Amino acid sequence: MLIRLSGGDVVDPVNGKTSQRDVWIRDEVLVDAPKGEAADQTHDVSGCIVMAGAIDIHSHIGGGNVNTARLLLPEHHAAHMPRPANTPLSNAGWSTFQTGCLYAQMGFTTVVEPAMAPYTALHTHLELADIPIIDRATLAILGNDDFTLSLLRDGKSSAMIDDYVAWVVGSTRALGVKVINAGAAAAFKDNVRSFSLDDVVPEYGVSSRKIVKSLQSSVTRLGIPHPLHVHANNLGIAGSADTAAATIAATEGVPLHLAHLQFYGYGTGGKRKFSSEAARLAEAVNANPDVTIDVGQVMFGQTVTISSDVMRQFSAIGNASPKKTIIFDGDGNGGGGIVPYRYKQDYYGSLQWAIGLELFLLIADPWRVFFTTDHPNGAPFTAYPELFELLMSSASRDAKSAELNAAALELTTLASVRREYTLEEIAIMTRAAPAKLLGLKDRGHLGAGAIADIAVYRKGRDIAKMFREAALVFKNGDLVVKNGKVSQYRWGKTLRLNPPPDKAIIKRMKAYHEERYGLSLDWFTFPDSAIQRDEPFAEVPCNS
Amino acid sequence: MSVAWIGSQPVPLTDAIRNAAKLLASCRCPVFTLDTDVHGTRSTIALATMLGGAYDHAKGQVLANEVALFTNHGGMFTTPGEARRRSSLIILVGEIPPLHHDLLQAWATSQPDLGDKHTRRWFHIAGDETSSSYGKRLRQLKAKPLRGEGLSLEATLALLRARLQHRPALSSLSNIDSLEKALASAQFPVFVFSGGSVEAAGLVMLQGLIADLNRKGRASSVFLPADDDAWGSALASLWMTGFPLRTGFINSLPSYDPVQWDVQRMIHAKETDLHVWVSGRGGQTPPKGGKVVLISLSRTDVPTSGAAVTIAVGQAGVDHDGVAYSSRIGTFRAVQAATPSHLPSVSKVIGQLADALPGRREFAC
Repeated sequence: MLIRLSGGDVVDPVNGKTSQRDVWIRDEVLVDAPKGEAADQTHDVSGCIVMAGAIDIHSHIGGGNVNTARLLLPEHHAAHMPRPANTPLSNAGWSTFQTGCLYAQMGFTTVVEPAMAPYTALHTHLELADIPIIDRATLAILGNDDFTLSLLRDGKSSAMIDDYVAWVVGSTRALGVKVINAGAAAAFKDNVRSFSLDDVVPEYGVSSRKIVKSLQSSVTRLGIPHPLHVHANNLGIAGSADTAAATIAATEGVPLHLAHLQFYGYGTGGKRKFSSEAARLAEAVNANPDVTIDVGQVMFGQTVTISSDVMRQFSAIGNASPKKTIIFDGDGNGGGGIVPYRYKQDYYGSLQWAIGLELFLLIADPWRVFFTTDHPNGAPFTAYPELFELLMSSASRDAKSAELNAAALELTTLASVRREYTLEEIAIMTRAAPAKLLGLKDRGHLGAGAIADIAVYRKGRDIAKMFREAALVFKNGDLVVKNGKVSQYRWGKTLRLNPPPDKAIIKRMKAYHEERYGLSLDWFTFPDSAIQRDEPFAEVPCNS
Repeated sequence: MSVAWIGSQPVPLTDAIRNAAKLLASCRCPVFTLDTDVHGTRSTIALATMLGGAYDHAKGQVLANEVALFTNHGGMFTTPGEARRRSSLIILVGEIPPLHHDLLQAWATSQPDLGDKHTRRWFHIAGDETSSSYGKRLRQLKAKPLRGEGLSLEATLALLRARLQHRPALSSLSNIDSLEKALASAQFPVFVFSGGSVEAAGLVMLQGLIADLNRKGRASSVFLPADDDAWGSALASLWMTGFPLRTGFINSLPSYDPVQWDVQRMIHAKETDLHVWVSGRGGQTPPKGGKVVLISLSRTDVPTSGAAVTIAVGQAGVDHDGVAYSSRIGTFRAVQAATPSHLPSVSKVIGQLADALPGRREFAC
């Protein structure tokens, strides 16, 4: 099948300046304009913007904690926008099915679940496989488990740490590694209530910094394309900017991705001892090319916070709205906390909202700042269209700011920042840069040879509307969305790395699980066939 | 050997599928009772979605009690693995179903290797209603009983919570001083409970007690479901529809209501005209439904009594590979066929039923 998208404004910064040109699809991939061959199908997209399918690098869309949040909050469905009727599970609230459809309708074609506990990998992949249309990927959590901490305590070689990290990534079918408040979940089990970068996990004598640095180096040595994905210490507390700045300063020439930086943008200024340090953090990011960040923008309304940072979530129980929570001390890197929360337009909510926008607007390089709400922690991903508008229109920011707490906004630089994201910058931030960051060479651009993941948006003054309802979306060449509605269902793949496992580490893991859990290793691993879909995974190569 | 019947007559599987699909297509309000693995559950829910039906578990009442703790209250939990490795103080709450006794035994024969690493001690919170047949297992574990004269389990939990908060109480509990000492020295005490033996109010009281302990120290709980497959089905339902079991579809909208979508109640109240009984385990009898048409997908070698159509299905982990929830590890596990058989999986049969329905509809599985 040869498909031609004719006459659109193609925004594809990887392959040149924005221009009006045709885009050609042959079966699943993009091709150069074929000579002397007529298209089997032509879509007139004049008056439209054509971009590659968008990629979300950090959105909690599936796995144990997400499902536990569903269990805790059957009433939470109203926080997600309704879908059109008369499709299977069409109005299911907060489901895997709806997740895929809603993302596709906005032109997103690949989404990364950033927090998979290795012991619940099968559960995570079962959920991801039930998300239709889009491709998915997930990051394996490390840094709080007895095995990692014991290796570090005992001064084992970097080669052994690499073998373990590679085994975890391979056996859990992950696309990368994430560390969450390194060491804190282990320390919390020993009744430690706060944990900073240089604090030490009691039973192991290993600092959080040591854990992060060790995993950061291991990920780099293994050639895992995505740098270590770091959820730093002290998330959400006044003064957390110091922790984030220290983490940024600690990269020492090795790449590192800092997740949802907005939640660390807090200083201790002002009467309420809660102020913006976004400008300082943006400056630190601008000055350190090793660092990429995603924002974790806050938008107003009801949401639920879901995090494997169990220590942080425990401390937030008092803020739960409604007043019910789940705190889970999981195995090693598992566990976390579910705390429902409503972001109000009060002092605190206004400040958080502004800090996120400051980071977006003050970090100069769109290749190093990523578009997220840390779904659902800052807001459900369904709030993305409104966020695009805020980034692209200073007038929209001004209008919204006028509704918010003036005392909070005075402590920020937001009003003075008049930058407006261009479409090219949006395309970099949501397409080209995520593909580069994750090592996905086959997507994020519209060059020949890329998979045909394409989003077509009808140009209009209403930016939010434009991004909420894509005119057309193609996934692997299949037309899956027409006029903002899903037109065809398909099942995507979960992208994974597959580093070859070292035989000695497998033997060691078998012995470890039998001795420590009284169970054979096969209780914790699974074959691809357990997912019960045709070819559920697609391999992404490691860097050589 | 037959695997399909219309009434009591053996028929080829394709005929049974075609006949069942006709019944499904012509009914007004189908209901589904589940007792199967994760993939059987996924396919059944997808079928219920297509048809606008409601679904529940064969052990729906106990499951609803367990789900209610989470939907209404929440709590603090840990995994069996973490309890084994870290907890030197295990407090059993009420009766723990025999399904989990191997797990308790495994804990009893191991030592914590994390945390305080003390020799493990056991207590048991009991009410007057706690079965005496459970006593042998408790003696093996050397569990010290915590009970008060004439007190139910819920009242015992309330009294214990009051006592641990140094509030005045009229009654006393056996071994309470011993428990207080044990709590003072244990770094990570774990309360172990099952939804089948503690009423909802008791579960909430237990979580309140654990929250109290976490103000200054650490404590958690291990939830052992009354039935692993039922809990696995609840989790699968959550990700597929956003809701646990006892969910129905009205105008394609899923709706969770543990009273309205109690399938046994619906059958008895004649609110349905067709009941699909899905039992990968077999050996159970579907509820009598008078004029309600019954389609039985059951692990059986004879037609199900009263069923218009019976199709024999296999059990995951016995007849075919599958995925099942395991409370031994607190998550899903891939299970291999122990004795592979010719019996098809529930998901395969449901998929064939969906394909045989008239009209082209999306099967979200």
